[in-house]
Amino acid sequence: MKVNTNSNTYIIIYSVVMVVIVAVLLSLASLGLKERQDANILNEKQTQIVKALGEDPATVAYGDVITKAALLDASGAVVSEDEKEVFAALNDLKASFEAGKYPIFVATSGVVAPLYGAGLWGPIWGYIALDTDMNTVKGIVLDHSGETPGLGAEITTAKHQAQYVGKSIFEGEELVGITLKKGGADKGSLHEVDAISGGTKTCDGVSAMIQSSLNYYKPYFDAARATTDTAAEVEAESNVVNE
Amino acid sequence: MASKSLKNLTAPLSGNNPVIVQILGICSSLAVTVQLKPAIVMGLSVMVVTAFSNLVMSLLRNGVPSRIRIIVQLVVIAALVILVDQVLKAYVYDVSKQLSVYVGLIITNCIVMGRVEAFALQNKPWDSFLDGIGNGLGYAAILVIIALVRELLGSGSLMGFRIIPESMYIAEGGFYSNCGIMLFPPMALIIVGCIIWAHRSFNKDLQEK
Repeated sequence: MKVNTNSNTYIIIYSVVMVVIVAVLLSLASLGLKERQDANILNEKQTQIVKALGEDPATVAYGDVITKAALLDASGAVVSEDEKEVFAALNDLKASFEAGKYPIFVATSGVVAPLYGAGLWGPIWGYIALDTDMNTVKGIVLDHSGETPGLGAEITTAKHQAQYVGKSIFEGEELVGITLKKGGADKGSLHEVDAISGGTKTCDGVSAMIQSSLNYYKPYFDAARATTDTAAEVEAESNVVNE
Repeated sequence: MASKSLKNLTAPLSGNNPVIVQILGICSSLAVTVQLKPAIVMGLSVMVVTAFSNLVMSLLRNGVPSRIRIIVQLVVIAALVILVDQVLKAYVYDVSKQLSVYVGLIITNCIVMGRVEAFALQNKPWDSFLDGIGNGLGYAAILVIIALVRELLGSGSLMGFRIIPESMYIAEGGFYSNCGIMLFPPMALIIVGCIIWAHRSFNKDLQEK
Protein backbone atom coordinates (compact mmCIF):
# COMPACT_ATOMS: atom_id res chain seq x y z
CA MET A 1 0.00 0.00 0.00
CA LYS A 2 1.40 3.39 -0.99
CA VAL A 3 0.87 5.98 1.74
CA ASN A 4 0.38 9.56 0.64
CA THR A 5 2.93 11.30 2.84
CA ASN A 6 1.51 14.71 2.00
CA SER A 7 -2.07 14.15 3.14
CA ASN A 8 -3.18 16.20 6.13
CA THR A 9 -4.12 13.14 8.18
CA TYR A 10 -0.67 11.61 7.65
CA ILE A 11 1.09 14.85 8.58
CA ILE A 12 -0.95 15.28 11.76
CA ILE A 13 -0.47 11.68 12.90
CA TYR A 14 3.22 11.86 12.02
CA SER A 15 3.71 15.05 14.06
CA VAL A 16 1.84 13.72 17.08
CA VAL A 17 3.74 10.44 17.13
CA MET A 18 7.05 12.23 16.64
CA VAL A 19 6.42 14.68 19.48
CA VAL A 20 5.34 11.91 21.86
CA ILE A 21 8.41 9.79 21.08
CA VAL A 22 10.78 12.74 21.50
CA ALA A 23 9.06 13.82 24.73
CA VAL A 24 9.34 10.32 26.21
CA LEU A 25 13.00 10.05 25.20
CA LEU A 26 13.93 13.40 26.69
CA SER A 27 12.01 12.78 29.89
CA LEU A 28 13.71 9.43 30.35
CA ALA A 29 17.12 10.99 29.77
CA SER A 30 16.35 13.79 32.18
CA LEU A 31 15.08 11.42 34.89
CA GLY A 32 17.94 8.99 34.41
CA LEU A 33 20.65 11.62 34.63
CA LYS A 34 19.08 13.84 37.27
CA GLU A 35 20.66 12.12 40.25
CA ARG A 36 24.13 12.45 38.77
CA GLN A 37 23.55 16.07 37.79
CA ASP A 38 22.25 16.97 41.26
CA ALA A 39 25.24 15.27 42.85
CA ASN A 40 27.52 17.30 40.56
CA ILE A 41 25.76 20.50 41.50
CA LEU A 42 25.91 19.81 45.27
CA ASN A 43 29.53 18.75 45.01
CA GLU A 44 30.37 21.89 43.07
CA LYS A 45 28.72 24.12 45.69
CA GLN A 46 30.60 22.45 48.53
CA THR A 47 33.86 22.65 46.57
CA GLN A 48 33.34 26.35 45.95
CA ILE A 49 32.64 26.99 49.64
CA VAL A 50 35.86 25.22 50.59
CA LYS A 51 37.74 27.12 47.89
CA ALA A 52 36.35 30.45 49.08
CA LEU A 53 37.94 29.77 52.47
CA GLY A 54 41.29 29.53 50.73
CA GLU A 55 41.59 25.77 51.22
CA ASP A 56 42.38 23.26 48.50
CA PRO A 57 39.20 21.20 47.81
CA ALA A 58 41.39 18.30 46.66
CA THR A 59 42.68 17.75 50.19
CA VAL A 60 40.10 19.43 52.42
CA ALA A 61 36.52 18.16 52.53
CA TYR A 62 33.51 20.38 53.08
CA GLY A 63 32.76 18.69 56.41
CA ASP A 64 36.30 19.38 57.69
CA VAL A 65 36.03 23.15 57.57
CA ILE A 66 32.33 23.98 57.82
CA THR A 67 30.89 23.51 61.29
CA LYS A 68 27.39 24.77 60.62
CA ALA A 69 25.16 25.69 57.70
CA ALA A 70 22.30 28.00 58.58
CA LEU A 71 19.52 30.11 57.14
CA LEU A 72 19.24 33.65 58.48
CA ASP A 73 16.28 36.02 58.41
CA ALA A 74 16.44 39.74 57.66
CA SER A 75 17.40 40.57 61.25
CA GLY A 76 20.36 38.20 61.14
CA ALA A 77 18.77 35.58 63.42
CA VAL A 78 19.18 31.89 62.62
CA VAL A 79 15.89 30.37 61.45
CA SER A 80 17.08 26.94 60.32
CA GLU A 81 20.15 24.79 60.65
CA ASP A 82 18.98 21.99 58.38
CA GLU A 83 21.77 21.47 55.83
CA LYS A 84 19.37 20.18 53.18
CA GLU A 85 17.24 23.27 53.50
CA VAL A 86 20.28 25.54 53.28
CA PHE A 87 21.52 23.94 50.06
CA ALA A 88 17.99 24.00 48.65
CA ALA A 89 17.98 27.75 49.28
CA LEU A 90 21.28 28.00 47.38
CA ASN A 91 19.72 26.34 44.33
CA ASP A 92 17.63 29.41 43.71
CA LEU A 93 19.51 32.06 45.58
CA LYS A 94 17.71 34.95 43.91
CA ALA A 95 14.32 33.69 45.12
CA SER A 96 15.74 32.93 48.57
CA PHE A 97 17.13 36.45 48.90
CA GLU A 98 13.78 37.88 47.82
CA ALA A 99 11.96 35.65 50.29
CA GLY A 100 14.20 36.89 53.10
CA LYS A 101 16.11 33.64 53.56
CA TYR A 102 19.86 34.09 53.67
CA PRO A 103 22.07 30.99 53.69
CA ILE A 104 25.37 31.23 55.54
CA PHE A 105 28.13 28.74 56.30
CA VAL A 106 30.00 29.00 59.56
CA ALA A 107 33.55 27.68 59.37
CA THR A 108 36.12 27.05 62.05
CA SER A 109 37.86 30.25 60.98
CA GLY A 110 35.18 32.59 59.71
CA VAL A 111 32.00 32.54 57.66
CA VAL A 112 31.13 31.99 54.00
CA ALA A 113 28.26 33.94 52.43
CA PRO A 114 26.85 33.33 48.95
CA LEU A 115 26.63 36.15 46.41
CA TYR A 116 24.18 36.63 43.58
CA GLY A 117 23.98 39.34 40.93
CA ALA A 118 23.80 40.20 37.25
CA GLY A 119 26.72 40.26 34.82
CA LEU A 120 26.63 41.40 31.22
CA TRP A 121 24.90 38.41 29.61
CA GLY A 122 23.36 36.60 32.53
CA PRO A 123 23.52 35.87 36.22
CA ILE A 124 26.77 35.83 38.16
CA TRP A 125 27.24 34.34 41.60
CA GLY A 126 29.88 33.28 44.03
CA TYR A 127 30.93 32.83 47.64
CA ILE A 128 32.85 35.21 49.82
CA ALA A 129 34.68 34.04 52.93
CA LEU A 130 35.25 36.48 55.78
CA ASP A 131 37.54 36.11 58.75
CA THR A 132 36.12 35.90 62.27
CA ASP A 133 36.20 39.73 62.42
CA MET A 134 33.45 39.69 59.72
CA ASN A 135 35.47 42.25 57.81
CA THR A 136 38.65 40.84 56.28
CA VAL A 137 38.16 38.83 53.11
CA LYS A 138 39.70 35.36 53.35
CA GLY A 139 38.87 34.50 49.80
CA ILE A 140 36.28 34.67 47.08
CA VAL A 141 34.95 32.38 44.39
CA LEU A 142 33.14 33.89 41.43
CA ASP A 143 31.19 32.12 38.75
CA HIS A 144 28.91 33.00 35.87
CA SER A 145 26.61 31.41 33.37
CA GLY A 146 27.38 33.21 30.14
CA GLU A 147 29.99 35.95 30.40
CA THR A 148 32.30 36.41 27.42
CA PRO A 149 35.17 33.88 27.47
CA GLY A 150 38.52 35.63 27.76
CA LEU A 151 36.90 38.88 28.91
CA GLY A 152 34.14 38.95 31.54
CA ALA A 153 34.57 35.24 32.17
CA GLU A 154 38.06 35.99 33.52
CA ILE A 155 36.43 36.74 36.90
CA THR A 156 36.57 32.98 37.47
CA THR A 157 40.38 32.83 37.22
CA ALA A 158 42.53 32.30 40.30
CA LYS A 159 44.60 35.32 39.31
CA HIS A 160 41.61 37.65 39.52
CA GLN A 161 40.20 36.11 42.67
CA ALA A 162 43.54 36.22 44.51
CA GLN A 163 43.30 40.03 44.52
CA TYR A 164 40.41 40.01 47.00
CA VAL A 165 42.31 38.25 49.77
CA GLY A 166 43.07 40.62 52.66
CA LYS A 167 40.68 43.35 51.49
CA SER A 168 38.00 44.52 53.89
CA ILE A 169 34.30 45.09 53.34
CA PHE A 170 33.61 47.57 56.16
CA GLU A 171 34.78 51.17 56.33
CA GLY A 172 34.12 51.99 59.97
CA GLU A 173 30.52 50.92 60.49
CA GLU A 174 29.57 51.31 56.84
CA LEU A 175 29.43 48.30 54.57
CA VAL A 176 31.25 49.44 51.43
CA GLY A 177 32.03 46.07 49.86
CA ILE A 178 34.74 45.76 47.23
CA THR A 179 34.85 47.71 43.99
CA LEU A 180 36.43 46.42 40.79
CA LYS A 181 38.10 49.55 39.51
CA LYS A 182 38.60 50.20 35.81
CA GLY A 183 42.16 51.29 35.12
CA GLY A 184 43.51 49.55 38.22
CA ALA A 185 42.89 49.71 41.94
CA ASP A 186 44.45 52.49 44.01
CA LYS A 187 47.55 51.14 45.69
CA GLY A 188 46.87 50.50 49.36
CA SER A 189 43.10 50.70 49.04
CA LEU A 190 41.36 48.08 51.14
CA HIS A 191 38.14 48.22 49.13
CA GLU A 192 39.34 48.10 45.52
CA VAL A 193 40.70 45.47 43.15
CA ASP A 194 41.69 45.70 39.47
CA ALA A 195 38.86 45.33 36.98
CA ILE A 196 39.35 43.25 33.84
CA SER A 197 39.97 45.22 30.66
CA GLY A 198 37.27 44.41 28.12
CA GLY A 199 35.05 43.04 30.87
CA THR A 200 33.90 46.29 32.45
CA LYS A 201 30.18 45.49 32.49
CA THR A 202 30.80 42.14 34.16
CA CYS A 203 33.13 43.79 36.69
CA ASP A 204 30.54 46.46 37.51
CA GLY A 205 28.12 43.58 38.07
CA VAL A 206 30.55 41.92 40.48
CA SER A 207 31.00 45.15 42.48
CA ALA A 208 27.24 45.62 42.72
CA MET A 209 26.74 41.94 43.60
CA ILE A 210 29.20 42.04 46.50
CA GLN A 211 27.60 45.19 47.88
CA SER A 212 23.97 44.11 47.54
CA SER A 213 24.40 40.50 48.66
CA LEU A 214 26.49 41.37 51.72
CA ASN A 215 23.96 44.03 52.70
CA TYR A 216 21.49 41.22 53.44
CA TYR A 217 23.95 39.83 55.98
CA LYS A 218 24.82 43.16 57.58
CA PRO A 219 22.68 42.61 60.73
CA TYR A 220 24.39 39.24 61.26
CA PHE A 221 27.85 40.71 60.68
CA ASP A 222 27.08 43.64 62.99
CA ALA A 223 25.96 41.31 65.77
CA ALA A 224 29.05 39.13 65.34
CA ARG A 225 31.33 42.15 65.23
CA ALA A 226 29.77 43.58 68.38
CA THR A 227 30.48 40.43 70.36
CA THR A 228 33.92 39.57 68.98
CA ASP A 229 35.36 43.03 68.60
CA THR A 230 35.03 45.21 71.69
CA ALA A 231 36.78 48.10 70.01
CA ALA A 232 34.07 48.23 67.38
CA GLU A 233 31.49 48.10 70.14
CA VAL A 234 32.98 51.07 71.95
CA GLU A 235 33.14 53.01 68.70
CA ALA A 236 29.51 52.21 67.93
CA GLU A 237 28.46 53.41 71.37
CA SER A 238 30.41 56.64 71.05
CA ASN A 239 28.69 57.27 67.72
CA VAL A 240 25.34 56.95 69.45
CA VAL A 241 26.43 59.40 72.16
CA ASN A 242 27.63 61.90 69.56
CA GLU A 243 24.26 61.89 67.90
CA MET B 1 34.65 0.34 3.82
CA ALA B 2 33.84 1.18 0.23
CA SER B 3 35.87 4.04 -1.16
CA LYS B 4 32.71 5.99 -1.96
CA SER B 5 31.60 5.86 1.67
CA LEU B 6 35.06 6.83 2.79
CA LYS B 7 34.89 9.86 0.56
CA ASN B 8 31.86 11.09 2.53
CA LEU B 9 34.06 11.09 5.57
CA THR B 10 37.18 12.72 4.12
CA ALA B 11 35.74 15.26 1.68
CA PRO B 12 34.46 17.65 4.39
CA LEU B 13 37.89 17.72 6.04
CA SER B 14 39.38 19.85 3.27
CA GLY B 15 37.89 19.99 -0.23
CA ASN B 16 34.32 20.37 1.00
CA ASN B 17 34.98 21.78 4.46
CA PRO B 18 31.76 23.07 6.05
CA VAL B 19 33.30 26.26 7.42
CA ILE B 20 35.83 27.38 4.83
CA VAL B 21 34.27 25.97 1.64
CA GLN B 22 30.55 25.69 2.34
CA ILE B 23 30.78 28.79 4.61
CA LEU B 24 28.40 27.30 7.20
CA GLY B 25 28.59 27.60 10.97
CA ILE B 26 30.62 30.82 10.87
CA CYS B 27 28.70 32.33 13.80
CA SER B 28 29.70 29.73 16.37
CA SER B 29 33.27 29.61 15.09
CA LEU B 30 33.51 33.25 16.14
CA ALA B 31 31.87 32.71 19.52
CA VAL B 32 33.64 29.75 21.11
CA THR B 33 37.19 30.12 19.81
CA VAL B 34 38.66 32.47 22.40
CA GLN B 35 40.13 29.45 24.17
CA LEU B 36 41.17 26.04 22.91
CA LYS B 37 39.34 23.76 25.35
CA PRO B 38 35.78 24.98 24.73
CA ALA B 39 36.55 24.94 20.99
CA ILE B 40 37.51 21.25 21.15
CA VAL B 41 34.47 20.21 23.20
CA MET B 42 32.22 22.30 20.97
CA GLY B 43 33.70 20.64 17.88
CA LEU B 44 33.09 17.18 19.34
CA SER B 45 29.54 18.04 20.42
CA VAL B 46 28.70 19.34 16.95
CA MET B 47 30.20 16.19 15.45
CA VAL B 48 27.95 13.98 17.59
CA VAL B 49 24.89 16.03 16.69
CA THR B 50 25.58 16.19 12.92
CA ALA B 51 26.37 12.46 12.79
CA PHE B 52 23.25 11.33 14.64
CA SER B 53 20.86 13.86 13.14
CA ASN B 54 22.08 12.75 9.69
CA LEU B 55 21.61 9.12 10.70
CA VAL B 56 18.13 9.59 12.13
CA MET B 57 16.91 11.77 9.28
CA SER B 58 18.32 9.38 6.71
CA LEU B 59 16.45 6.48 8.37
CA LEU B 60 13.26 8.53 8.36
CA ARG B 61 13.77 10.04 4.92
CA ASN B 62 11.13 7.97 3.07
CA GLY B 63 8.40 8.58 5.65
CA VAL B 64 8.90 12.28 6.35
CA PRO B 65 6.10 14.40 4.86
CA SER B 66 8.01 16.84 2.68
CA ARG B 67 5.76 19.74 3.68
CA ILE B 68 6.87 19.56 7.32
CA ARG B 69 10.37 18.16 6.81
CA ILE B 70 12.11 21.28 8.18
CA ILE B 71 10.04 21.03 11.37
CA VAL B 72 10.87 17.33 11.69
CA GLN B 73 14.56 18.12 11.20
CA LEU B 74 14.42 20.79 13.87
CA VAL B 75 12.73 18.46 16.36
CA VAL B 76 15.31 15.72 15.77
CA ILE B 77 18.24 18.14 16.03
CA ALA B 78 16.84 19.90 19.10
CA ALA B 79 16.21 16.57 20.85
CA LEU B 80 19.79 15.44 20.14
CA VAL B 81 21.24 18.72 21.35
CA ILE B 82 19.26 18.50 24.60
CA LEU B 83 20.52 14.94 25.07
CA VAL B 84 24.13 16.03 24.51
CA ASP B 85 23.63 18.90 26.95
CA GLN B 86 22.18 16.58 29.62
CA VAL B 87 24.98 14.04 29.19
CA LEU B 88 27.66 16.74 29.41
CA LYS B 89 26.01 18.06 32.59
CA ALA B 90 26.00 14.61 34.15
CA TYR B 91 29.47 13.41 33.16
CA VAL B 92 31.71 16.42 32.40
CA TYR B 93 30.09 19.08 34.53
CA ASP B 94 32.93 21.60 34.46
CA VAL B 95 33.21 21.56 30.67
CA SER B 96 29.47 21.89 30.26
CA LYS B 97 29.59 24.94 32.49
CA GLN B 98 32.36 26.45 30.40
CA LEU B 99 30.39 25.98 27.18
CA SER B 100 27.27 27.33 28.88
CA VAL B 101 24.73 28.54 26.32
CA TYR B 102 26.76 27.49 23.30
CA VAL B 103 25.75 23.84 23.60
CA GLY B 104 22.11 24.85 23.25
CA LEU B 105 23.07 27.01 20.31
CA ILE B 106 24.25 23.95 18.34
CA ILE B 107 20.58 23.75 17.31
CA THR B 108 21.04 26.92 15.32
CA ASN B 109 24.33 25.79 13.76
CA CYS B 110 23.77 25.93 10.01
CA ILE B 111 26.02 22.91 9.40
CA VAL B 112 23.65 20.51 11.18
CA MET B 113 20.51 21.41 9.29
CA GLY B 114 22.48 22.13 6.11
CA ARG B 115 23.86 18.59 5.99
CA VAL B 116 20.52 17.00 6.88
CA GLU B 117 18.75 18.94 4.14
CA ALA B 118 21.50 18.64 1.51
CA PHE B 119 22.74 15.12 2.19
CA ALA B 120 20.86 12.91 4.61
CA LEU B 121 17.47 13.23 2.91
CA GLN B 122 18.91 11.79 -0.33
CA ASN B 123 21.38 9.22 0.98
CA LYS B 124 21.56 5.92 2.86
CA PRO B 125 21.98 5.94 6.67
CA TRP B 126 25.60 4.75 6.77
CA ASP B 127 26.77 7.29 4.18
CA SER B 128 24.84 10.01 5.98
CA PHE B 129 26.38 9.05 9.32
CA LEU B 130 29.88 9.27 7.82
CA ASP B 131 29.03 12.57 6.20
CA GLY B 132 27.95 13.87 9.60
CA ILE B 133 31.16 12.70 11.28
CA GLY B 134 33.23 14.21 8.45
CA ASN B 135 31.49 17.56 8.60
CA GLY B 136 31.72 17.64 12.38
CA LEU B 137 35.44 16.91 12.18
CA GLY B 138 35.95 19.51 9.44
CA TYR B 139 34.17 22.06 11.62
CA ALA B 140 36.16 21.04 14.71
CA ALA B 141 39.45 21.31 12.79
CA ILE B 142 38.77 24.91 11.77
CA LEU B 143 37.61 25.79 15.30
CA VAL B 144 40.82 24.38 16.75
CA ILE B 145 43.02 26.31 14.31
CA ILE B 146 41.23 29.58 15.08
CA ALA B 147 41.30 28.92 18.83
CA LEU B 148 45.03 28.08 18.69
CA VAL B 149 45.84 31.45 17.14
CA ARG B 150 43.44 33.40 19.34
CA GLU B 151 44.38 31.87 22.68
CA LEU B 152 48.11 31.95 21.97
CA LEU B 153 48.23 35.56 20.77
CA GLY B 154 45.35 36.87 22.88
CA SER B 155 46.09 35.27 26.25
CA GLY B 156 49.58 33.80 25.82
CA SER B 157 48.36 30.36 26.85
CA LEU B 158 47.03 27.11 25.37
CA MET B 159 44.38 24.92 27.05
CA GLY B 160 44.76 27.31 29.98
CA PHE B 161 48.48 26.55 30.38
CA ARG B 162 50.86 29.46 30.06
CA ILE B 163 53.02 29.27 26.93
CA ILE B 164 54.54 32.73 26.83
CA PRO B 165 56.48 33.14 30.09
CA GLU B 166 55.26 35.76 32.59
CA SER B 167 58.72 37.31 32.69
CA MET B 168 58.44 38.43 29.05
CA TYR B 169 55.49 40.69 29.77
CA ILE B 170 55.84 44.45 30.06
CA ALA B 171 54.28 44.36 33.55
CA GLU B 172 57.12 42.08 34.69
CA GLY B 173 59.81 44.16 33.00
CA GLY B 174 59.80 42.38 29.64
CA PHE B 175 58.88 43.58 26.16
CA TYR B 176 55.80 41.51 25.30
CA SER B 177 52.13 42.28 25.62
CA ASN B 178 49.10 40.18 24.70
CA CYS B 179 47.28 41.12 21.55
CA GLY B 180 43.96 42.06 23.17
CA ILE B 181 42.10 42.44 19.88
CA MET B 182 42.47 38.68 19.34
CA LEU B 183 39.87 38.17 22.07
CA PHE B 184 37.21 39.98 20.05
CA PRO B 185 35.01 38.15 17.52
CA PRO B 186 36.03 40.25 14.47
CA MET B 187 39.56 38.80 14.69
CA ALA B 188 38.09 35.30 14.40
CA LEU B 189 36.41 36.34 11.18
CA ILE B 190 39.72 37.71 9.87
CA ILE B 191 41.46 34.46 10.82
CA VAL B 192 38.74 32.48 9.01
CA GLY B 193 39.43 34.72 6.01
CA CYS B 194 43.15 33.98 6.19
CA ILE B 195 42.49 30.23 6.43
CA ILE B 196 40.22 30.39 3.37
CA TRP B 197 42.89 32.36 1.50
CA ALA B 198 45.63 29.86 2.34
CA HIS B 199 43.33 26.90 1.61
CA ARG B 200 42.29 28.19 -1.82
CA SER B 201 45.82 29.02 -2.89
CA PHE B 202 46.71 25.35 -2.28
CA ASN B 203 43.49 24.04 -3.88
CA LYS B 204 43.39 25.69 -7.28
CA ASP B 205 40.18 23.90 -8.28
CA LEU B 206 38.27 25.80 -5.58
CA GLN B 207 39.24 29.17 -6.98
CA GLU B 208 36.48 30.99 -8.77
CA LYS B 209 37.37 32.17 -12.25
